[in-house]
Amino acid sequence: MFLSLIRIIKFSLQDISRNVWLTIATVTILVLALLSVNTLLTVDVLSRHAIDAVKEKIDISLYLKADASEEQVTSLKTEISQMSKVKQVMYTSKADALRSFRETNADNPEVLAALRELGRNPLSPSLIIVPNNVEEAPQLINEVKQIDSDIIESRDFTDNTLILDKINDITKKISEVGLFIICIFLFTSMLVAYNSIKVAIYTHRREIEIMRLVGASNSFIYLPFVLSAVIYAFLSVMLIIILFYPFLGILQPYLEVFFMDYNINIIDYFLNNFIIIFGLQFLVVSIISVLSSWLAIRRYAKV
Amino acid sequence: MIKLVNVSKAYLKNVKILQDINLYIEAGEFVSLVGQSGSGKTSLVKILIGEEKVSDGRVIIGDWDITKISRKEVPYLRRQIGVIFQDFKLLPQKTLWENVAFALEVCGQPQGKINKVVSSVMRLVGLEDKKDRYPHEVSGGEQQRAAIARALVHQPKILLADEPTGNLDSINANEIVDLLIRINNFGTTVILVTHNREIVNHLKKRVIAIDKGRVVSDQEKGKYLL
Ligand SMILES: Nc1ncnc2c1ncn2[C@@H]1O[C@H](COP(=O)(O)OP(=O)(O)OP(=O)(O)O)[C@@H](O)[C@H]1O
Ligand SMILES: [Mg+2]
Repeated sequence: MFLSLIRIIKFSLQDISRNVWLTIATVTILVLALLSVNTLLTVDVLSRHAIDAVKEKIDISLYLKADASEEQVTSLKTEISQMSKVKQVMYTSKADALRSFRETNADNPEVLAALRELGRNPLSPSLIIVPNNVEEAPQLINEVKQIDSDIIESRDFTDNTLILDKINDITKKISEVGLFIICIFLFTSMLVAYNSIKVAIYTHRREIEIMRLVGASNSFIYLPFVLSAVIYAFLSVMLIIILFYPFLGILQPYLEVFFMDYNINIIDYFLNNFIIIFGLQFLVVSIISVLSSWLAIRRYAKV
Repeated sequence: MIKLVNVSKAYLKNVKILQDINLYIEAGEFVSLVGQSGSGKTSLVKILIGEEKVSDGRVIIGDWDITKISRKEVPYLRRQIGVIFQDFKLLPQKTLWENVAFALEVCGQPQGKINKVVSSVMRLVGLEDKKDRYPHEVSGGEQQRAAIARALVHQPKILLADEPTGNLDSINANEIVDLLIRINNFGTTVILVTHNREIVNHLKKRVIAIDKGRVVSDQEKGKYLL
């Protein structure tokens, strides 16, 4: 059994080396298919991160008058808390605001000096409203706009929902086009794998004929070609791994600029999910190329 | 033992190229099969090695009814029947030794056994000193001898030779026939398909003649008729 395995591997390698250019062509097409898959995956990961980043920035703040009393603030807070679209309301007192202002400007002596000069706390207390879910943010903002209270000094809404919609839109379009491209590549891969095995069988037709005559079992005749198909898959996944990480390395600095304070590391993502991403790709490509080579074997090697 | 009972074969509907063939060949016999081109000799050989199925009748080899042999079983039949052809069917990029060893390799035999068997069959056909040459570096007769060596590696009970001398001059042809006789003397059944009148007449063994798919004569110590 083990011996047969070694001979099957030997045969398969012989088949691959005798048709080097064909192997290169097949692997190239498979690599292109995988490149489109991985690019789409990258786009997907990035858009999910972008959405998270934007969601984090949805911010509904009510700035209150400095002289608002404790009861007024509490009753306003309760009123807002009871609104159906509100998840949480956080109160930042004047003192809290000052503390966090000092912290954010800790290495900015001029600002701190100016603050000291002023001699009093110029900041307003505020209520920060967290929506139940981001999709409802625009309605919530409308509702908050209509709250009528004496103690509200100003309202500040950073409405990023439009951006969210845009991101969702773009991602959807890219995914659609991407899926289409992947389908084309998958189909081409099948055709190319089929033809490579067909040619491999043709190159080995004398061997196959003789193997038949001398009583080699069917599996011994077709397994080398199936193995070649798996090797195509293996080579293409190896190549895509080698090609894709440098590509991500080039991408990463741009992402850091684009996402600014939001923490993103696309290389880490591909490293942490290495097995699942590339293992799955190897599996799928193997299945595709084995399937198409099997069709070629059935047809041309008549096993 | 080979037994054909009412065998008919048609590749195309209604065009029977073999008809009502009844043959009984004893184990250890030497039989020449003669007939004009297109009379169905090669088709008969193909039926015996399970490459073609009969349209009608039964084919029995030893105690094995191969009439409806499955694709999975064919390899086991091939290991019991050696075959050689007019065109030798050697692999050009392998030496004679490698060509013979190939037949055992693809059947999963261990290397030690391969070495032993290949050297013994190479000695039998008289090619020990040319075993490392490539097919294009030896004569046609020597190529055919290598093909015979390959056909013998599984120690088959039957050796089918489909016009083995067709590409050879008479000296080489006679050598091949002598070799076949020697193999027959070890107890192997030999079926020799040939066009060569001299060889058949010289052999003085059983001759079966077929014409248009029918057995037209079957004689012990026969002559080439037709
Ligand atoms: N695969 C096939 N399909 C259809 N017809 C075939 C096929 N193989 C052979 N034949 C026909 O069957 C007949 C017998 O062919 P076969 O090869 O058995 O003859 P043969 O006696 O071996 O001839 P030769 O002496 O020329 O080798 C021929 O008429 C041939 O055309
Ligand atoms: Mg013929």
